[in-house]
Formats: sequence, structure tokens, C-alpha cells
Amino acid sequence: MSKYMINKLLWEVEGSDESLRAFIDDSAGFIDGWERNEPLPPYPSGGTLTAEERIAFESWDYSTLYRLGAHPFLLWQFARAVWVPGRMEAHEFVVAFRTGVAQHGHPDFAT
Amino acid sequence: MAEIVLTLGVPHTPLLWKALQEPVPSDLAGVAANFSRFRSLLAAERPDVLVVVGSDHLRSIMTSNMPAFLIGKATEMRGTLPSEQRAFGLPASIVPGHRDLAAHLLGGHQLPASFDFSFSDEPWLDHSFMIPLLYLTPELDIPIVPIHTNTNAPPIPLATRFRALGSYLREAIAAWPGPERVAVIGTGHLSFELGGPRQFSGRSLDPDFDELVLDCLEQGDGGRLVEVATYERMLAAGNLTFQFLNFITCLSASGETAAASVEAIPSRFGNEPFIAWSGGR
Repeated sequence: MSKYMINKLLWEVEGSDESLRAFIDDSAGFIDGWERNEPLPPYPSGGTLTAEERIAFESWDYSTLYRLGAHPFLLWQFARAVWVPGRMEAHEFVVAFRTGVAQHGHPDFAT
Repeated sequence: MAEIVLTLGVPHTPLLWKALQEPVPSDLAGVAANFSRFRSLLAAERPDVLVVVGSDHLRSIMTSNMPAFLIGKATEMRGTLPSEQRAFGLPASIVPGHRDLAAHLLGGHQLPASFDFSFSDEPWLDHSFMIPLLYLTPELDIPIVPIHTNTNAPPIPLATRFRALGSYLREAIAAWPGPERVAVIGTGHLSFELGGPRQFSGRSLDPDFDELVLDCLEQGDGGRLVEVATYERMLAAGNLTFQFLNFITCLSASGETAAASVEAIPSRFGNEPFIAWSGGR
């Protein structure tokens, strides 16, 4: 589990227009660059993210990130910023997001 | 000797900024009217400095280094961050700071016995500060002392600490030798959820919670309020309801007097709180 690293990448992507554009254009490439630059020692799983977390980021799977304990504020801001310009209108995305997280209730988001 | 001339509790919902552009939609007319009413209340008291108790939303302060209570001491500070300018349309702003009062609240060269504050010489103000400031003091011409409270990243301080913070502010402001007229502004929500299954439900998430805590604020009952505001009860009311805790600080800063005005304005974002304590003397 690395809720902190999930949050850190959510923050990194959403924190600047440049990062956001880069993530939307090439999510796997963005994560590669982020992991290379990340100065923390790797987690036992071999990277800053677990394999499950990495797949969830690459596939824009906010439902899984939510289940894994991503901070809800960070996750919503990230998901809204990535999906809306990338794939759908804001009002559609509100419904899609709710559907995606509702099955998981309220996972503990304490890091 | 400085004095608290007014204490206000207001919402900081960032989506209000775009939604309240003219023409104001009918469902938000009450919110707009209350911001206007509070702007007049504040102006009438002619404050020299605003002590603003808000909560950074993991915008400028991450859990790499998360303080429980942080006082910003700077002569000017930046308002909101690029991500919030993009997401909410908020303007980039410069806000003046009352560095001397901030240093006094921090205890000078040693922290006060009752609080191990963190401090920042370069605070950034996210929407929890900028929404209230932009509506209550649109010219951004009154120096502020920003106090960040961690209400967003567990572990968060107990409700009793928010109550103690208000008492501390009340005593420390009274002990400031300057003649300043001080207004305390707390910002937060009632029951509130974002990024969870109940976000944007278009109504109060937990009317019982809202009614109970508003009643405590109206009565000035800080003791009952800290009993109600447990982690579990707030979480049940909505995953980010913890931001309500800033209003406990307002109540105790007022001397735990009955609020002069308590309104919970229904809006598409939930009940938006507008609470005023006069004076606090």
C-alpha cells in the first residue's frame, strides 16, 4: 500500500497545466519520467507505485484509485482535470465518477 | 490593546466563484446575499487586520510535511495556485499580511506554552482563504494573518484543540499592545463530501448534523460541540466534513457567546453556513 505515493502523483499531475497535458498525452511516459525523478527509495514492489496502482493510473481508473485509498479531494480534482478535457463533458463525468466510486463506500484515506 | 471586533464563519466552496458570476442563478441568490451582508458587517467594524482560519486542501501543503496548525507570517502572500486558477477560475492574487501580529501569535522567539504552532514565511493561500477574502474584502486591502488548520489529511487535531485554538487567539489578540481592530474569519463547511459517492448531491448530506452543530453555535455551547464533533460523526456526515472544525475555533475566539446570526443557506453545494458573532467582548 502506498497511499502517499498515489496522492503524490495525483498532486503532481494536477498541479500544473504542463504536467496535466503531458499526462493526458502519454500517461505511461509521464509516470516513467516521474518515477525516474522520484528521489525516495523504491517500495518493496520495485517502484514508487505498486503494479496495481500503476495500471490504475495508466488506464485513468479513478474507481480503483479510490478503492486503494486515494485522498478524495485530490482524486476528484485529478479525475476532473484529466477526464473532462480528455474524454467527456463535466456533467457526464460527475455521474460517471459517482458510479465508479459508489461501489467502494468510504475507504480509509488516512495515509 | 487590540480587540476582536467581529467573528465570522463563512463557506469557502470554490465552485461558487464561477457559479456566482452575474447573473446570479436563483438557487444561489441567498448565498450571494449573505456574502454581501457579511461584507457590510465587516466593513462597518473597520477592521485593521483579519485573522483567517482556513484549511489548505493539499494544494500548497502536502503530507510530506503536514502541520496541525500553521501561522503564516509574511508581509504579502500569493493567493491561490495554478491548479485552482484552472479548476475554479479563481484569479491569481497578492494579499497583504500583518507580519507583526503573526509573529506575536507565534509567541515571538519562543512558541506559546499552549500551542506548538508551525509557521511559514511564504504561505500560499488556497481557496479556503481566497473565497472568503474575495467576497468579504474584494479589494484585498486589509492585512491578514492566515492560520492553516489540518482538517483534510488524517490524523487531524481533536475538536478540543480547535476550541483551544480559539481561546488562545482570543487571549493573545487581547495581549497585543497595538490598537488594531481585529476580525476573526473561520472558513469551512457543514456536512460536506467531495470525491466520494455523495458528492454534488444538491442538498445537505446530513441535515441532523447540520442542525445540531448550528444549534450549538447559536447557543454558544462549545462543550457540547466538541462532544458532537468526533472523527466518526463528522465522517458519517460527509468525507470532508472535518472542515467544519474551523467554526469551533470561531466560537471560542468569540468567548463562546451566542452567535448574533446563524444561517445555513441551502444551495446546490449543500447548506452554506454564515455565522456571525458581534464583538466577542
